Amino acid sequence: MGSPFDINGGACVAMVGKDCVAIACDLRLGMQALTISNNFPKIFNYAPSTYLGLTGLATDVNTVSDLFRYKVNMYRLREERHISPRPWPTCPVLAGINQTTGKPFICGFDSIGCIDFAKDFIVSGTASDQLFGTCEGLWEPDLGPEDLFETISQALLSAVDRDALSGWGAQVYIIEKDKVTQRLLKGRQD
Amino acid sequence: MTSLMDHQARETVGYSFSESTAGVKQHGFYPYTDNGGSTLGITGSDFAILAGDTRSTSGYNINSRMVPKVFKIGGDDETGEGANIILSVVGFAADGTALKERLDTVVKMYKYQHGKPMSVSACAQRLSTILYQKRFFPYYVHAILAGLDEEGKGALYSYDPVGSYEREQCRAAGAAASLIMPFLDNQVNFKNQYIPGSGEGHALVAKKPEPLPLETVKGLVRDAFTSAVERHIEVGDNLQMVIITKAGIEEVYHPLKKD
Amino acid sequence: MRGPTIIKAEDDKTRQLNKNTLMAFSGEAGDTVQFAEFIQANVQLYSMRNDTELSPAAVANFVRGELARSLRSRSPYTVNLLLGGMDPTTEQPHLYWIDYLASLAPVPYAAHGYAQYYCLSLLDKHHNPNIDLEQGMKLLGMCTDELKRRLPIDYKGVLVKIITKDGVKEVDFDNDKIVRSA
Repeated sequence: MGSPFDINGGACVAMVGKDCVAIACDLRLGMQALTISNNFPKIFNYAPSTYLGLTGLATDVNTVSDLFRYKVNMYRLREERHISPRPWPTCPVLAGINQTTGKPFICGFDSIGCIDFAKDFIVSGTASDQLFGTCEGLWEPDLGPEDLFETISQALLSAVDRDALSGWGAQVYIIEKDKVTQRLLKGRQD
Repeated sequence: MTSLMDHQARETVGYSFSESTAGVKQHGFYPYTDNGGSTLGITGSDFAILAGDTRSTSGYNINSRMVPKVFKIGGDDETGEGANIILSVVGFAADGTALKERLDTVVKMYKYQHGKPMSVSACAQRLSTILYQKRFFPYYVHAILAGLDEEGKGALYSYDPVGSYEREQCRAAGAAASLIMPFLDNQVNFKNQYIPGSGEGHALVAKKPEPLPLETVKGLVRDAFTSAVERHIEVGDNLQMVIITKAGIEEVYHPLKKD
Repeated sequence: MRGPTIIKAEDDKTRQLNKNTLMAFSGEAGDTVQFAEFIQANVQLYSMRNDTELSPAAVANFVRGELARSLRSRSPYTVNLLLGGMDPTTEQPHLYWIDYLASLAPVPYAAHGYAQYYCLSLLDKHHNPNIDLEQGMKLLGMCTDELKRRLPIDYKGVLVKIITKDGVKEVDFDNDKIVRSA
């Protein structure tokens, strides 16, 4: 058995645009080369315009997303307000818009919690090399919501098509100040 | 290829000599080093481009900032004049040089013996044979061969280290191949692109790939490399671009980031 | 099985957790039944205390939680699970695939072990979300036929249980059908 990060496969990417952010993931769940499910989203919503993408070992994608839902719910009950996107330990890709300042925000983490604040994009998963290439090549500053959607979609689909462990469709969220659009992309089914 | 790479994977930094195992001191010799860098080739209707960065590394060291990876094959030794084939090699630089020298000799011998230049397709087949002849002690390189075919169209052939080859529209090789290749799929072969408004769902019509104009391709090559430089430490310094058209071979250099 | 010896040919590898959820298991010999009955007891305890049935989704997440906790303990359970159920309120069927690492995925059809390699392609081709019970049984027949045809070992047939809104019941299945290898 290889690295735990390569057992189940999966990819996730977040990008900043003009007054908007986008976050997208693939839908595959596999065991090594065998695909178990083609409907395994890796992006989770924790508050209005706060989204978290998790890649790696599927059991820990489940565990961290559950644990985080619990923690965020406890925060909301205790503080009587929604949580806004700001760094939290133990999560790979975070995207959202700060509800008070209206500022787009993305950040990434490694598995032990080292934070990476980025002005442009964050990638993670088994297709991260490919995503670095496509994002670096396609992304530009101040993209509007529709252009950002096209950019992140093309970047993700092209990247996962060159990774055997990711793909089988994708999910994209475009997050604006007071609107979130979710789109399902079919992509290659192989 | 992977099994040979395992040696490197364990040590991270690629030494020519393997570290001694705990206990008994052994002096193992590992005949390969990875010199990093990346190459890329794209064809058009009447041209082919091969490009590569000029950085040479071993582990985290930079050996040189000016080691070209693209060569003219079958031309004058000094100037490369008279060549109609170009070759790029990336991987183990010493093997790359050896391979280039051998192919260059072969192409010249062909011309002396037959009184006509070797066609690109013939050269492509010959290169495959050369590589396979060393099936059990391979030239540790990923080669790309380019030129113009019998119809004057751009021709590009890519190889694995033991001679499997294929004619393609575009190919990235070397350290940053995994970064560049999906970008090329998208921008050269228009993968995942559809004609807007052509239908919904399965009725959508995919955008057909067609040969791109030279200026567009030059732009893509530069974008691909500036992107690779940004995210891969083994790629940088200068971009060497060799363009082959019916007018001849043009070679240009552009600066890349040196960090 | 104990090594190459068959101990019992008709061992029931399922446990009913509550009125409308059933869990099938495979894996390490001692772990499977121990874990399944631990889950069964806890789900039944919940039903008694709260006088309500947990939905399949709730059960699945509880099972996953327990397996995930065990995964990081000194001696983890090595158990692969399939959890099927009817939601008592929505009357929608659910199937969950859970492996020994406690990865949870809701799926339309699933298998564990070697059956995955023999059956998933058949299911990919013939399953659609609207099939009725009869078609489902036919599809199951195709799967068991394929296992008989292609598996190098005689796996002594299957035990079939169906879950409807009325509960869980075992159905007759012809395990003696002879399928010749291709």
